[in-house]
Amino acid sequence: MEFKLEAHRIVSISLGKIYNSRGQRGGIKLHKNLLVSLVLRSARQVYLSDPCPGLYLAGSPAPPQPGEPAAGGGGPAGCQALGASPLKKPRRHLEEQPAGAAAEEEEEMETGNVANLISIFGSSFSGLLRKSPGGGREEAEGEESGPEAAEPGQICCDKAVLRDMNPWSTAIVAF
Amino acid sequence: MNCPDESTYGNKADIISTVEFNHTGELLATGDKGGRVVIFQREQESKNQVHRRGEYNVYSTFQSHEPEFDYLKSLEIEEKINKIRWLPQQNAAYFLLSTNDKTVKLWKVSERDKRPEGYNLKDEEGRLRDPATITTLRVPVLRPMDLMVEATPRRVFANAHTYHINSISVNSDYETYMSADDLRINLWNFEITNQSFNIVDIKPANMEELTEVITAAEFHPHHCNTFVYSSSKGTIRLCDMRASALCDRHTKFFEEPEDPSNRSFFSEIISSISDVKFSHSGRYIMTRDYLTVKVWDLNMENRPMETYQVHDYLRSKLCSLYENDCIFDKFECVWNGSDSVIMTGSYNNFFRMFDRNTKRDVTLEASRENSKPRAILKPRKVCVGGKRRKDEISVDSLDFSKKILHTAWHPSENIIAVAATNNLYIFQDKVN
Repeated sequence: MEFKLEAHRIVSISLGKIYNSRGQRGGIKLHKNLLVSLVLRSARQVYLSDPCPGLYLAGSPAPPQPGEPAAGGGGPAGCQALGASPLKKPRRHLEEQPAGAAAEEEEEMETGNVANLISIFGSSFSGLLRKSPGGGREEAEGEESGPEAAEPGQICCDKAVLRDMNPWSTAIVAF
Repeated sequence: MNCPDESTYGNKADIISTVEFNHTGELLATGDKGGRVVIFQREQESKNQVHRRGEYNVYSTFQSHEPEFDYLKSLEIEEKINKIRWLPQQNAAYFLLSTNDKTVKLWKVSERDKRPEGYNLKDEEGRLRDPATITTLRVPVLRPMDLMVEATPRRVFANAHTYHINSISVNSDYETYMSADDLRINLWNFEITNQSFNIVDIKPANMEELTEVITAAEFHPHHCNTFVYSSSKGTIRLCDMRASALCDRHTKFFEEPEDPSNRSFFSEIISSISDVKFSHSGRYIMTRDYLTVKVWDLNMENRPMETYQVHDYLRSKLCSLYENDCIFDKFECVWNGSDSVIMTGSYNNFFRMFDRNTKRDVTLEASRENSKPRAILKPRKVCVGGKRRKDEISVDSLDFSKKILHTAWHPSENIIAVAATNNLYIFQDKVN
């Protein structure tokens, strides 16, 4: 559970850094943003593979999370379970989404606001650096067909989910 | 663990961003965030003033780079000087390269101590005289004047880098140099400014597959065909330009296997190499990552020859250092003239020296309070465990806004230059 808390905190710090980097003088620093995205992915892995119930910002109850495609073993995650290359896991996560049933997909999306954000922002590097502030929402609206059609980096977020998110999460998705 | 804004310590533009001795050690150049270059010159030692052993005084100051705006990308280009590299001296003038994120410039620094006087056609103020009043012929004569040091930009090498330049390195042929950004390295000829050769390109076809960037690059000190570059993944590649035009395939690949017991969220960040330097002999390379300095033998690729812990007590604080951005600080490292001692900076204005032969190390502090001119520097110690001794400082009391990122060592003598935010400290070995 502590690992999930820690991972959650690191995810929010990382997102904040990426957001701030866009306004920085001299342009986006590629090196720093790459490193932040790597931390984001590590934290995301831990967050998603930790069997404890997720954290919710809006306080809604946590439904059980059976069969999460990205959870490697179900076992104790924590900082030690980052043996696999972070790059491989996100790909597998996206590949297994189309393979899974749509219902499972839905469940994944509604599992938690933060888990959503993690999968959105953790999936690829360039997705983090998309410039247009409204880009997130525009892309989300175009994604009705489902994430199978999505390229890595595109936001795979239903309108319905966006509505249910609290303002904090929505702001970050919009970014 | 606070990291206060740098601007609380005076003008942000004065923050020193690079320090470099020239090849004889006579000159010391610094570059700052405001785009200025300040050159110090060592006093000639005189028999009259024996105690003033060759101190460094300001020799020349000039504005190297100005802030620019890239209209196509709506981006401001910072004027901060990222690196300065000297060319070996070939005549009376001095030449150096200075670079910001996008543009490299070759500067000529020369002295003028004579002035032509007695023009035939001009008066003393330089205005043309009325030809009707000229009745005699006279030839101008050179007369002494107060020494003036002027810096002129001789070449501007622009528009060759899409990403931010992190390194420049002068080749041992003295005809070419390279500039490296996050994804590419270009080779230039000093005489040609409108073209450069791309010799390394690690940009993936799909940027989404980006996993590493180039962090530093340097030419071999003697072999003009050889250079190394380091990456954010903690690896070093040695390339030979004779092998092919595009050196995407390395000749040697240096990487140390990761210690699985040290794995954390921040393992990748702390293994990113911030600086790479060849030894003067050309037999070794030294790399700096967040917590260590490593010395590699060019003939052994699978692990470093020596590893020195700079500030291992920070390993348990990585999360806080990530929060306050200190984990992204890029420390440099330097060799002394004989390659027997290496030096690098840390926090709290501490810097560390490691003697490779005796295996002894020392922590020193660059601060006004602790060092009066000609006073001996006292070794410092950081207390890691429970009981703090009298002179020790605890990890939690360290000031993380006072970081020493840039240091330089005189090529042949024990004189070091240490940049502490906007102050430059020059320390010399005491003789007798």
